[in-house]
Amino acid sequence: MKKLKEFIKKNPAFAVFLILALLLVCIAIFAPWIATHDPYEAVLADAVQPPSAQHWFGTDTMGRDLFSRVIFGTRTSLAAALALVGIIMTAGTFLGIVAGYFGGVLDAVIMRIADMMISFPGMVLAIAVAGILGGGIVNAVLALSVVSWTKYARLARSLVLKIYNRDYIAAARVTGSTTGHILWKYMLPNALPTILITGATDIGSMMLEIAGLSFLGFGAKPPAAEWGYMLNEGRPYITAAPWLMIFPGLAIFVTVVIFNLLGDSIRDVLDPRSE
Amino acid sequence: MKNLKKLTAITAAAVMAVSMAGCSSGGSRNSSAAGDSPQTSASSGGAHLNFACYNYSNSMDPITNVNSSWCFIRYGVGECLFRFDENVEVEGALCDSYETEDYITWVLHIRDGVQFSNGNEVTASVVKDSLERVYEAEASATGNSTPSQYVTFSSIEADDEAGTVTLVCSGQTVNLPGILAYPWYGIVDTSVIDSEVIGTGPYRVTAISENSTVDLAKNEYYWDGEVPYDTITIYLTEDSSTKAMALKSGDVDLAENITTASDLEELKGNPEYYVSTTAGVRLGNSYFNYNGVLANDALRQAIQYAIDDETMCSVTVGGMYTAGSSVLPSSLPYGYEQLTDPYAYDLDKATAVLDEAGIVDTDGDGYRELDGENINLNYIAYSSRNLDEFAQAVAITLESIGIGCSVTVQDYDTALANQSAGRFDLITSNAIVVPTGDPTGFLGNFYSGNSGTYGYYANDEYDALYEQLLTATDEDQRLELIIEMQQILIDDAATLVHGYYNSTFASRADAVSGADITPIDYYWITTDIHPAR
Repeated sequence: MKKLKEFIKKNPAFAVFLILALLLVCIAIFAPWIATHDPYEAVLADAVQPPSAQHWFGTDTMGRDLFSRVIFGTRTSLAAALALVGIIMTAGTFLGIVAGYFGGVLDAVIMRIADMMISFPGMVLAIAVAGILGGGIVNAVLALSVVSWTKYARLARSLVLKIYNRDYIAAARVTGSTTGHILWKYMLPNALPTILITGATDIGSMMLEIAGLSFLGFGAKPPAAEWGYMLNEGRPYITAAPWLMIFPGLAIFVTVVIFNLLGDSIRDVLDPRSE
Repeated sequence: MKNLKKLTAITAAAVMAVSMAGCSSGGSRNSSAAGDSPQTSASSGGAHLNFACYNYSNSMDPITNVNSSWCFIRYGVGECLFRFDENVEVEGALCDSYETEDYITWVLHIRDGVQFSNGNEVTASVVKDSLERVYEAEASATGNSTPSQYVTFSSIEADDEAGTVTLVCSGQTVNLPGILAYPWYGIVDTSVIDSEVIGTGPYRVTAISENSTVDLAKNEYYWDGEVPYDTITIYLTEDSSTKAMALKSGDVDLAENITTASDLEELKGNPEYYVSTTAGVRLGNSYFNYNGVLANDALRQAIQYAIDDETMCSVTVGGMYTAGSSVLPSSLPYGYEQLTDPYAYDLDKATAVLDEAGIVDTDGDGYRELDGENINLNYIAYSSRNLDEFAQAVAITLESIGIGCSVTVQDYDTALANQSAGRFDLITSNAIVVPTGDPTGFLGNFYSGNSGTYGYYANDEYDALYEQLLTATDEDQRLELIIEMQQILIDDAATLVHGYYNSTFASRADAVSGADITPIDYYWITTDIHPAR
């Protein structure tokens, strides 16, 4: 307990943003209890009503309660962003470590594929992939995974190469450690802190990219409660019913800011040089 | 060291900020210059119109496809032998008189002294060549227009001396003038068609910037009265709100079909703008696919009961459509008032019909099953003319009574490909039902011989009536057949009618006069639109 207090005192920013992030996770988990209406229940006759006591954020074009949809949107956006970061972090790190450790043809193949991926503008390639796969939030996550793993692969590879020729690696090899053991016990732990920091700072930007794809019509499909898609739905009404865009936009803004600042503060905590 | 880093960062940020500010001011300077240019050209060259419209095609050649032929007519570049007036009556355009005895051989007289916008004369031979060209393009698949859909000719002869074209139809064709008013049969100058598309309309094309602008100039040789504008710039604008904003900011003087209800409402309420609306000849509907679960009568009937057309038309799409139950709009003289709709909105009845038919949810997952499988309708929509909003509203309503329904919004071409391939349960559509001034062609979509691309509807009684309609020449008999056919479609719950689309033109009252939209919307830029005085 005392240790925790000390830690918070030492890292107040991290503590604040962690609490805020946990709050968002709680909103996602307890959405059914927080929402005032069923987010998918439409009363067509009550479409596009301004914010009121009954509908805190107003209603959308199909007469659904916007507040409830924004709350439920937390689930979609958070889950999709976390899943996406999880996928690219795992896949990218694995490929990067393998490429860095084994070198040769394997390295060349993996890194040339990675080079190919980053020679396209990421969003454009994601749109192309999502277009081929078809709409849906799962496909949007897959599309963004295909174009975003390269960063982690390059990072992991360089971290592996950095320690590849160190004496303790050579010692491990001489004493008969298996390749798997070396990868798991030496290479991965060496790369992990940097990868984790990158992953944490990536959550915000990935959330934006998912929302971006949905806004363009390549992500979430109707009637999904997803912030980017809600922005798309509200766009034609920007002058007449601005609340249709303001509230989902605000939700994206707040969430992305919290996760970006959390990522920054995690870096401050984990990076010994900053002290 | 740390301070030096900070200093570098701040300097770098400052440099970036300054350079970005430089960019933006440069940008705004450029854009204001671009904004000025049409006005400058207007003041130096006379009257100028800025018109915003959706870009349906980058081509204006009638053979390319439906949309390109429409652009040819809509932009005021080309004309047909006949045209429709504001009451959907056919009148002569390039043809000023015609004769026929048996509705098979038609002798059309080409108006004397008409010239193309390049000064070439419109002769009977050119008309013949132009008509033959569109059929040849269809036969050789160099174009996607399908003129044989409405009429085929066994021969086309031209007599330049008499100024007549003799058309011999393959079968009795009562409505040939109406058919020849369809944009596919627009007359082009075939002597120069390999390099440019030249027609006889009031304006000619001077420059095209794909997906951006089309510049038009007055046709000095126009035959039908004074051409009001010296130049016109068409701004190709995909987005309805953008069109509305361009109109409000004064960037354009005239915009077609602003489909966002909120924007339209605002324009209608402001006396600075003139909004012309016409009771539509366009049907907004969704076709059912009979090669799937929707072959089930009870399911289709339940859907008809469940859908609240009135609310969808007046609220969901904000009055862009007028609700109705038949495939032919209530504003057209096809006996709408004699029809009865047994499936008026009644949500309780919808669930009752489903329960009675044994389409119930047995496994408690919230979705009803048909033949042991959850119903999940694949609803394809495209975003033109509020169709995606209808699809969503329908899907939400169906979900609420336990019918699974997922909407996929696709671009028009993809949706059309899926429709042709039969890969849908429901698909939205918005079409002119009297494209040739007559609903026969449209009613043919439900004829079992043609219904392949419209969901495979088939009804022997309907087929027999349709075959009669094809050959009937007596007006009263035709009307009777058409009414009977409409009632069959309603009784069969053959298609989900959303409503009838109201086409609109919105203009700046201080800049433009006479900007009225015609019911048949092949005509956008006409000589009726002129500068306000």
